[in-house]
Amino acid sequence: MKRIILLMTMLILTAFVSGQTKEPSALEILKKSDAVINAPKDQDIKMKLVLIEGNGDEKERELRMLQKGGEKRIIKFLSPADQRGIAFLDLPNDMMYLYLPAFKKVRRIAGHIKNQKFAGTDMTYDDMGTLNYAAEYDPKFIEKSEKVFVLELTPKNGLQKDYSKLVMWIRADNFYQIKIEYYDKSGKLVKRMERKKIEKVGNYWIAKEFEIYDLLDDHRTRALLSDVKFDTGLKDKIFTQRYLKR
Amino acid sequence: MRNKLFFLMVLFIIIPSAIWAQVGLKGYILTDTRVFLEDQRFYWNENRLDLQIDASLSESAHIYSELWVRGFGFSDVKTSADLMARQKDKVQPWNMVLREAYLDLYGFLLPDLDIRIGRQRIAWGTADKLNPTDNLNPYDLEDIWDFGRHLGSNAIKASYYLGDYTLTGVYIPVFIPAVLPTQDWAQALSPELALPPGFTQNNLEDQIQTPENTLKNFTAAFKIAKNFFGYDFSMSYLYGWDDLPIVTNVGLTPVNLTGAVDIATTLAYKRMQVFGLDMAGSLGKIGVWAEGAIFFPEKTEMTTDLSAFGYGIQTSLALDDEPYMKYVIGMDYSFKNGIYLNCQYLHGFIHERGRENLEDYFMFGAEKKLLNDKLKITSIAGGLEIKDFSEIKDNYAILYGPEITYYPVDNAEIIIGGHIIEGKSTTVFGRVKKNDEVYVKVRYSF
Repeated sequence: MKRIILLMTMLILTAFVSGQTKEPSALEILKKSDAVINAPKDQDIKMKLVLIEGNGDEKERELRMLQKGGEKRIIKFLSPADQRGIAFLDLPNDMMYLYLPAFKKVRRIAGHIKNQKFAGTDMTYDDMGTLNYAAEYDPKFIEKSEKVFVLELTPKNGLQKDYSKLVMWIRADNFYQIKIEYYDKSGKLVKRMERKKIEKVGNYWIAKEFEIYDLLDDHRTRALLSDVKFDTGLKDKIFTQRYLKR
Repeated sequence: MRNKLFFLMVLFIIIPSAIWAQVGLKGYILTDTRVFLEDQRFYWNENRLDLQIDASLSESAHIYSELWVRGFGFSDVKTSADLMARQKDKVQPWNMVLREAYLDLYGFLLPDLDIRIGRQRIAWGTADKLNPTDNLNPYDLEDIWDFGRHLGSNAIKASYYLGDYTLTGVYIPVFIPAVLPTQDWAQALSPELALPPGFTQNNLEDQIQTPENTLKNFTAAFKIAKNFFGYDFSMSYLYGWDDLPIVTNVGLTPVNLTGAVDIATTLAYKRMQVFGLDMAGSLGKIGVWAEGAIFFPEKTEMTTDLSAFGYGIQTSLALDDEPYMKYVIGMDYSFKNGIYLNCQYLHGFIHERGRENLEDYFMFGAEKKLLNDKLKITSIAGGLEIKDFSEIKDNYAILYGPEITYYPVDNAEIIIGGHIIEGKSTTVFGRVKKNDEVYVKVRYSF
């Protein structure tokens, strides 16, 4: 009998403590979400970019992206023919290099390129950068449900960003970012990104497809990922000018 | 030409199919037509097929080759035999140029040593197209507007990656001279020969003396590169040849009593040594670069044979061995509205030699892409040349070169542009100020 009373007491206490568990803050959710996106130690991904104009005309780009951690990235264009062989190396501290095969030369690229569109897509070089929103934005809840968290992100004080705010949808089950809306300085919605076909490859979640819609230009970019490989042990020496030229 | 075609066919046949399976074939087709505005004369008519063969034979071996097959120039029919010639060279002139053909061996002997053997372009320098330290390959000045174009050199290049340092050594066994601009633009880089008062030029003949193809006439160069505090630096040294010839002998022969003379000149190529230094980085978000080279030329004398006039042979200094420095500083920036701006200041143009002969040039360009990158407008592009800052009004030239590029579909571009030149005849561009032009280029990559 004593055992039953003890067990019941423990169950009541457990239920009480559970009820008192602190709910995660918006910042904790954002950090967790960043961690999910940036979890792989390295990535080797082929990407097909379909550029879609307002009238439905489409163009395609194919590239291979190698990334180590969140700060080293090399992108090589596979098509179209006039861009094949062009390669882009992104290193920490805004050290960026572009290899143009026609000139047999690696060219240093300065930070001004970050606000430019990447290869005619609707992503800027900045958008292509490390997805560490918690370090750059202050989040607050707009909505919470069992399935999704909706956060409003505003740039941290003193940080120059192109957007006045972002609205981000995060899946509650795996903390994967599924949709982001970008608002310009006047508060107008200018861009929208949606991630689809979210799958688990090995230990990591990844969206095999995402689409970015530029509302101002009525232009969208659909990205289709294939040959996704994680944690293959990419060496640091791959992310150098030596390999950029190969 | 037949031999070349036969060689190509043999090459295609003997390369095993296993290699073809890994071979990438790409290139482009270019049509380039230019017309002078003053006399409405077509002066450039080029149809180019560029073929590039690229194959990674293994993780540590790679081959690359680039070939130009060009219909270039205009019909040059002088006789009926020209019309009947099987080669059709006179009706439709054409040529074939092997731009590059090399083998890469990665991790050769040592894991961090890469070598490249064969005809290759070795582009040094951080500046945009105008590079004082880029002296390994001879200039290809055939197209004067394509400043950065060089011929490939038969060379061995070794690159060793030692921690953060990159060490590069180059050996070029045989000298190749630069290609000079076509006749219409020759005057820009070679001013007319100054004759004594009372003389006029009748015939002009020249003879070029090139270095012999012997072991001692090699070119060698070394470069060390490293990043310091976020800026890329490199230092280089070259022991080589000046690829532009210098006049070493002039002979004047009277033709008649009115002062007309036949001129016979001899031009030769001279040794030079070059110390180079360049850097690239950013100031805030602005891209910046600087590049300088100190040239140590070989002292060259010029003899003028006036014995036909009873003055004997006179000797003067064509080029002193006093070192001189050429340099470039530049910047670029992309504005949020998509406008890209590029500016460079250059001291010493490609052909200028000797400290007193170096002029100053300001080159600039601004371009913007529109209609989701279907249209690129380069509305502000050109340069300002100053020969003498103390008397600018008589020593300047202005160059304006707007251009519109339309990309109708992927891989295709249609370019329409022009060059307007104004200036004094003392300057490089002023000497060709009559050559205002418009051009149309169409290019398709595959």
